[in-house]
Amino acid sequence: MTILTVALKYLQGRLVASVLTAVSIALGVSLVVVSVLLARGIKESFIAGATDYNLVVGAKGSPTQLVLGVVFRMDLATPNIEYTTYRVLQQDPRVEVAVPIGLGDAYQGFRYVATNSAYFATYPWRRRTFALSAGRLFADDPPKDPTYEAVLGAEAAGSTGLRIGDRFYEGEEMAEYPLTVVGILRTTHSADDRAIFFSLSSYWGMNEVARGLTVKPLTAVLIRPRRLSDLPSLHRELNVSAETQAVLPSGVLLTIFNMMAVAEDVLAMILAIVGIIVLLYVLLSMYSATLERKREIATMRALGARRATVLGIVLVESCVLAVVGGVGGVLGGHAVAYFAGSLLAKSGLATNPFLFDPLEPVVLVSVILLGTLAGLLPAVLAYRTEVAENLAPLS
Amino acid sequence: MHRYRRLKRVIREFRVWRTATFFLLFVPSVLLAGPDEIPRLTFAQLVDSIRADSAVTESIKSYNGKEVAIQGFIVPAGPPDLSFFLLSRVSALGNYCCEAPVGQDETVYVFAEKEVRITYDPLRIFKIVGAFEAGMRSDPINGPSLFRIRNARVEEALGAKIFKVGEVPAPDTKP
Repeated sequence: MTILTVALKYLQGRLVASVLTAVSIALGVSLVVVSVLLARGIKESFIAGATDYNLVVGAKGSPTQLVLGVVFRMDLATPNIEYTTYRVLQQDPRVEVAVPIGLGDAYQGFRYVATNSAYFATYPWRRRTFALSAGRLFADDPPKDPTYEAVLGAEAAGSTGLRIGDRFYEGEEMAEYPLTVVGILRTTHSADDRAIFFSLSSYWGMNEVARGLTVKPLTAVLIRPRRLSDLPSLHRELNVSAETQAVLPSGVLLTIFNMMAVAEDVLAMILAIVGIIVLLYVLLSMYSATLERKREIATMRALGARRATVLGIVLVESCVLAVVGGVGGVLGGHAVAYFAGSLLAKSGLATNPFLFDPLEPVVLVSVILLGTLAGLLPAVLAYRTEVAENLAPLS
Repeated sequence: MHRYRRLKRVIREFRVWRTATFFLLFVPSVLLAGPDEIPRLTFAQLVDSIRADSAVTESIKSYNGKEVAIQGFIVPAGPPDLSFFLLSRVSALGNYCCEAPVGQDETVYVFAEKEVRITYDPLRIFKIVGAFEAGMRSDPINGPSLFRIRNARVEEALGAKIFKVGEVPAPDTKP
């Protein structure tokens, strides 16, 4: 019988305790893995979903609300600005492309986004490209003659079950202005997958207040300057104005990342404490197991087993528990990340549960080493077991 | 004879200690002295370099392809991983005070090979070290640029001063 076989037999002998120890290790490891995967996934999702436009112009208020609302559709829309702001920016020689955005209600939770065809245009500097899986884009209709045509993001179409030609509205007051599906976009892995797009004229036509206004409202304007070096001057001018604020979307996201880094530090401390508790549990479990079988160890020694063999058996036992718990924890962490990712997807963040983080092998090796180390004290205890003392009659 | 052997051993030990002292004192000082050799450019130099006829002067072009250090404020004009950003003499967030924003002549287009991991602060000065390029060039993604730094490394420049036109760094100023 090899040391490994004996160790496995011992573990099998106290199956419940062994399983509980391995599960506690697995829970600790999966907590670390899921935290790492989700933190990285959320960050990468923000980076991937970030707009290609360098400046977002909206009403005075919170820059974070403006970016999260307009780019990621994760917050309420900021107050309106005037459509003339867009016209002025469109004619500014420093501006290459200006795209108007109007955010409104939602259909089954999928946000209405009013814009024009420039939103879907392809430019050399754009990373994101839009392609239709069915139908066509809505028409850039004149304000007096809205067409109420809608283009659905891939996920919005999939979840609502709407098809080309379907007419829909949400709320009785919208029954007079149903939207007609004319196109469905291919997936873009961004918040646009969960949006319902239509023209600004339809947006104004659907809203009772906007219908009566001479100067039409907008939520924001996305800006791409001709020269990026003009960005600070545009940013300053629009912020000094009493009506508007201009925000660098990447700046807002970097501020969010800074806040996430603080939360990650706190999480790392909590995970370290969890790790210590798990290791202490392994130590306690192995220690009590060794105390329980002092007599068996003494018998083994009396039958000729060397002290080193006894030491090896206990160390291999804790190593096996650490390996099983560690591997189970990594797999469990990915499984939890998969379910958590599907929950996050509903709020517009697409995380990848199959992502592999370089920290995972480090965590696994550390757990195996520390788990084995936690068995060292019980192993020494077994090593020092006196044969004569422990083979004495029980009564 | 016995005394001669002892002397030999003392000499041998002395040599070992001398070599160890050399490595302990000299090698780290050489390694630490490395960054001093990187020339520091200032925004004042960049502005001066295109004063004459809107073309970049030969003096600033002589830095082309060489590693330089330059300090300024980060304007996150590119993706939020900061693999590309602008470095400006003026902060992007001084809306109601300070100086008016600067143009192409006081903006450096900074390219990093991968994501830059820093605690971003629009009001903090950062030191950028990388391969310098001067001269108008346009690329389809980032548009026209006059000054660029490629393969950039970014670090916080504690207590740094941004030099304007007419100001020069003190002779003992290190990057």
